[in-house]
Amino acid sequence: MKIKTPNAGALTNFEVLDFLKARGASKDSSRVIAPVASSEYKVYDYLVETPASRQTREQIYEFMKKCKTYKLAKAEILNIINIAPRELVEIDPIIEHSEMRLGDQVEELLDLVRNVFPLPPADLTSEAGMDKDGEETGNEEQNEDMNETLDGDQIDGDGK
Amino acid sequence: MFYLSLIEHTLRLPPSLLSLPLQDAIKKELENIFLDKVIASLGLCISVYDIRKIEGGFIFPGDGASTYVVEFRMVIFRPFVGEIIAGKLKESNKDGLRLSLGFFDDIYIPAHRLPKPSSYEHDQENRYQVIWTWEYDSEDNNKFYIDGLDEIKFRVDSVEYPPVPIEQPEKPFAPMVITGTLDDDGLGPVTWW
Repeated sequence: MKIKTPNAGALTNFEVLDFLKARGASKDSSRVIAPVASSEYKVYDYLVETPASRQTREQIYEFMKKCKTYKLAKAEILNIINIAPRELVEIDPIIEHSEMRLGDQVEELLDLVRNVFPLPPADLTSEAGMDKDGEETGNEEQNEDMNETLDGDQIDGDGK
Repeated sequence: MFYLSLIEHTLRLPPSLLSLPLQDAIKKELENIFLDKVIASLGLCISVYDIRKIEGGFIFPGDGASTYVVEFRMVIFRPFVGEIIAGKLKESNKDGLRLSLGFFDDIYIPAHRLPKPSSYEHDQENRYQVIWTWEYDSEDNNKFYIDGLDEIKFRVDSVEYPPVPIEQPEKPFAPMVITGTLDDDGLGPVTWW
């Protein structure tokens, strides 16, 4: 066995999910007939719970076009597409030296992510539901910066 | 997390697969050989993406099977250092946490890579497990628990491929080990943030 090209291109979670779906993977009972191995199914099960399951190819192209102004590294763009961060705390560990390189533009970048990868309406209400039941999770105090977003309101609005 | 890799392999096609069209038979055989296996310094093989070239078809004397040289692309799972991944808690002990992605289980967060300060206490239900707590603000008594309920985001610190041991150790051998950290904003259980 010879490895000709170890890295022939990075794949986003969405592309792998799409590839598995094209082979016939799905959640319902037609699993056993599809030509997809059980180990591949484990990957499918994992990916279906990530933001990748809600993305479309057009959304990804759109994001790639629009994020050029922020001069992000390829790894950072890949991370952002895979995680689809909605809050400042989520995007902070992704971008190195975010204050130095982007400063205020981080908010713009976050808005871009939120607009290009919108949450389906069902998820917005379920977020509110989960936070109402939440125990001692102190997510109110952590994020002083981002009180202006829709999601931020829902998290802060439960204030204990 | 995933990327493509171009691999060339000399494949012996068992005669039992001769009834299938060539491409399908080769794909099936490749999947038998590579799927769910770790290739050193490459990563975990997830899936055969496509077949680019098939050459050969020689039959060696004394052998009933034909041998092909196949060039194909494979989807490989290998996170890069600095990537952020969400996983579920598999077990936790005093050395740290172990996370699972469903298809990959050997992700360790050593104790010193948890947010500081952290402490642990023994779990009432499970004798060998402990519950890790992050004491964010000791005056407010603001403690954040790592329980097994939600997803935990971590950043990849390193990916190692320990060499295959000669003798069998007690623990099952892990050919690929990912070490991560929770020590940064936005990392840790999703409900913390």
